Amino acid sequence: MLRRATLSVAWLGLAALLVPAEDSLDDLQQKTIKAAAKAVAPSIVQIETSGGTDIVVAGPRGVPIRKASGPTTGVVVGTDGYVISSAFNFVNKPSNITVRVPGHPEGYIADVIATDKTRMLTLLKFKTSPVKPLIVPAATPKAEIRVGQSAIALGRTLDPNPNDPPSVSVGIISAIGRIWGKALQTDAKVAPTNYGGPLVDLQGRVQGILVPLSPQAEGETGGVEWYDSGIGFAVPLEDINAVLARLKTGTAEKPFSLNRGLLGISVQSPDIYGPEPKIATIAPDSAAAKAGIQINDVIKEIDGKLVYNQAQVLHALGAKYEGDIVTVKVLRGTEEKTFKDVKLGSILNAHGRPVLGILPVRDDPEPGVEVRYVYPKSPADTAGVKEGDRITKIGPETGALGPFSGADGLAAILATATPKTKVKIEVVRKDKKTETLTVTLGELPEKDAAEEVPEKLPEEASKKKALEPRKPVPGMPPMPAPAPAPKKDDKKVELGVMQRKNASATHTYWVYVPRNYDPNVSYALVIWLHPVGKDKEKDDEKVQDDWIDYCRSNNIILAAPHAENKTGWVVSESDVIAEVARDVMATYTVDKRRVVAHGMGVGGQMAFYLGFHNRDLVRGVAATGAALTNQAKEKVPNQPLSFYLHAGSKDPLKDSVVESRTKLLEQKYPVVYREEKDAGHEYLDEKALDELVRWIDSLDRL
Amino acid sequence: MRILPAFLRPLAALVLLLGLGAASARAEDSFADVAEKVNNKLVKVFGAGGFLGIPSYGTGILVSGDGHILTVASQMLETRDLRIHLANGDRYHAKIVAVEPELDLAMLKIEEKDVKTPDFYDITAEAQKAVVEPGTGVLAISNQFNVAMRAEPMSVQRGVVAAYSKLRGRRGINQAPYDGEVYFVDAIMCNPGGGGGALTTRDGKQLLGVVGKELRNTLSDTWINYAVPLQGKITIKGEKETKTVTVGDFVSQAIKGTYVTRDPKEKKKSSNLYTGIVLVPNVVERTPPYVEELDPNSPAARAGFKPDDLIVYVDGEQVVSIKEFKDAMDRYEPGAELKVEVRRGDKLSTLTLKLEDRGKKKP
Repeated sequence: MLRRATLSVAWLGLAALLVPAEDSLDDLQQKTIKAAAKAVAPSIVQIETSGGTDIVVAGPRGVPIRKASGPTTGVVVGTDGYVISSAFNFVNKPSNITVRVPGHPEGYIADVIATDKTRMLTLLKFKTSPVKPLIVPAATPKAEIRVGQSAIALGRTLDPNPNDPPSVSVGIISAIGRIWGKALQTDAKVAPTNYGGPLVDLQGRVQGILVPLSPQAEGETGGVEWYDSGIGFAVPLEDINAVLARLKTGTAEKPFSLNRGLLGISVQSPDIYGPEPKIATIAPDSAAAKAGIQINDVIKEIDGKLVYNQAQVLHALGAKYEGDIVTVKVLRGTEEKTFKDVKLGSILNAHGRPVLGILPVRDDPEPGVEVRYVYPKSPADTAGVKEGDRITKIGPETGALGPFSGADGLAAILATATPKTKVKIEVVRKDKKTETLTVTLGELPEKDAAEEVPEKLPEEASKKKALEPRKPVPGMPPMPAPAPAPKKDDKKVELGVMQRKNASATHTYWVYVPRNYDPNVSYALVIWLHPVGKDKEKDDEKVQDDWIDYCRSNNIILAAPHAENKTGWVVSESDVIAEVARDVMATYTVDKRRVVAHGMGVGGQMAFYLGFHNRDLVRGVAATGAALTNQAKEKVPNQPLSFYLHAGSKDPLKDSVVESRTKLLEQKYPVVYREEKDAGHEYLDEKALDELVRWIDSLDRL
Repeated sequence: MRILPAFLRPLAALVLLLGLGAASARAEDSFADVAEKVNNKLVKVFGAGGFLGIPSYGTGILVSGDGHILTVASQMLETRDLRIHLANGDRYHAKIVAVEPELDLAMLKIEEKDVKTPDFYDITAEAQKAVVEPGTGVLAISNQFNVAMRAEPMSVQRGVVAAYSKLRGRRGINQAPYDGEVYFVDAIMCNPGGGGGALTTRDGKQLLGVVGKELRNTLSDTWINYAVPLQGKITIKGEKETKTVTVGDFVSQAIKGTYVTRDPKEKKKSSNLYTGIVLVPNVVERTPPYVEELDPNSPAARAGFKPDDLIVYVDGEQVVSIKEFKDAMDRYEPGAELKVEVRRGDKLSTLTLKLEDRGKKKP
């Protein structure tokens, strides 16, 4: 505000010095703006699309929006038919793209040949050569772009004639280096009417390409909710030009995708502005793993820049692409270590989860893992593992086998292994004979394989000794006894349907614990997130009717918070939901490997959000009639997350749900997708629910 | 010259570049006088509403010395107790004189006798001026959100003309019956109560248009900010003749009391166009207009259409669905010649389609 005021005062002073009476400063500014718009206009093209889906989901709450029917905007980046635009304009996967260029008599048919997934830009190429060379606009050098400079946002949506002047909105550069160093910010009105268009300086040079962006949400529609708000973003054209050659290597058949460069680490504190960035996990085969960075290292510097919290790390790495080289300095104990030439990896290198293909018998204090179920044709099956066997040791193909303590211990060892490599296991058969088997680890999800849910699971799932301390494993430090849980041990806990309020009394929720509850058995926890408006007593009763029998027979506890707002869940309520879940887990015996966020519609969106943002809590997301609005977040080693997606074949969101499956598989999450024939936006029928319960029962797969 | 702060240097350079640096004089960059002058010609309108998202307040522009007020047509006006507040705070009753639903405008008049309103816009004279181009600075003055009470001046917003183009508002709740040219503005001015306000140039010398209602745009599915320009016009198809009505016509006839408010429910005559194009079945809401087959020897066959062509533009306007294609065709009469661009393989081809009367269709 102050800066703006200073600016206009200064302008007035300047005007008094320089401007003749008949031309006010305002007139001059308008003339300059029109001249700048005119200078760039020949490079601003109009893009029309048809085909594709009508409905896309957008915003942090995943509100379905209609893909608008109007033309969108692009900017020429190659004389021979290359146009850059915002990925938002192609979010509905149109089958036909035509581009109209000012001064060219006919339109051109174009293909998407590349996408920059970090900055949400799409590169188009004409199918035929333009009748005359296109005009590439000049880029404003980034070094010249300063906060306070004039910025003009131009677009071609409002006027159907590409030979008319482009639409204009005038503002200033509000900030540089926004969205983890990727974007310019402007107060000119940025909206779907000019996404893909240029942000131009007073000399008619292009500062950047307008795109919706959000620091939290990724994906094509992230940041759309801020349209026309005075907070708009543009990716500097200079940055685009730097990667243009790579983008141009794509083709219509094989579009190129430019991904974010990843170090492959997660840090210990979930608060990005919190304490020093101490490494919690390192993905196998990641840039960090290859460089020799270790868990518990504290990152001190990236490319010579000091970093003192996770946000700083994001700032230093946020703008990087896969293949970019960085230098990382860490503190290991008291020793500083510098890793040079660390080549950032891509998510495409991410592995699935290494698995044997078994389910363990739960609540078992004995050392090792008793096999409850062997997945047909799984690595364990192929190696000859049978139900009832007890796996007692595991080790590399050439090396000594070591014992482990229970399913958790086995899971931790598997998490550090690499899929498709061989390991040796020692099993004790039912007849007490000991054998050593070689198993080629599988990968979850298996490439191109349909994710199956076992059709029938052995009923005996638990040794019913959850409260007993683990037996010590020879050669390993004794496991600590289960944390004291006075509520679980002594007094009689409440059972049945219980109506509750959270600690700060902002939310009501109910919990259902089966009457046959046994604290020695670990229960799956299903957090039900209702769709909009379905928070009435009768809606709750309907959910209870559907679930109670399953809860009894399959040892499930149901917890169902109500959204505070009539219009559905908001992102900030995830804290309350997590609090509800933790409260249940403090009172009852809950299997931490089988905590599921389950929701429908907006509740399903919330389930996705909860899954991605409460990794330490949620192991499964089961969503019906709900799609993932943003890109799937990266996997976190040893915090597995699985998805069960369900949609009616006539649900308008169906295509988006199918798309969500693809997005999740790209990030190597196990996904089950079920489509109900002839159903619309409806809850699961009995058969589907039956399968969902089996899916929940198999979430502790090893 | 003194050394300028860095952020001003480009501007200074430009000013010099434009060759305007030589003369030195006092420049007036204040909108204060303009705002006051315009405000004196505006009224606050109060009517029915206050529920279901319909505001009970709005803005109007004085267009005669006898208390004629131009404003947007809205449900708010549908009351016997319509009141207006002049800029000086005087309160009067008002009644509707005429409504043109297709322009989305209404004319009101102060009911009390012999009330003079010396400050007003001469719409006929203003409408003669040229349309301004995108990038032109504008002021929007209205009583949006009913912020101003009685004699308080209305809210002034500054922006630029974003575009001058056809309005394609979404049908339904936020219906826009007017589909002619409008000024799109980059200031957020179409708020509750903003409708009926004045859009002027920054020097206040030209009234550009009447600020529109709250409306979503089908092109971008976003809220839009627009004003109906004084040069705006509609074509009214009657049973016998087709006539054009401009905003100026409406205002001058309404002031004289000769404007006939038409029945908004008057039916459009059904289309009797014949092209010979058979499109693919319209299965989803936005089935693209693919040609399935052609009647032999029909206008389309003669124009060179082929099965599997995808119709992309009709006279330069994109049609993304079968419904949009049919809507576009409704605007033409038999005998008209249109340029239709179709996608055939990897290329766009332009075909000239001559429309015929269905009655004359050959068996």
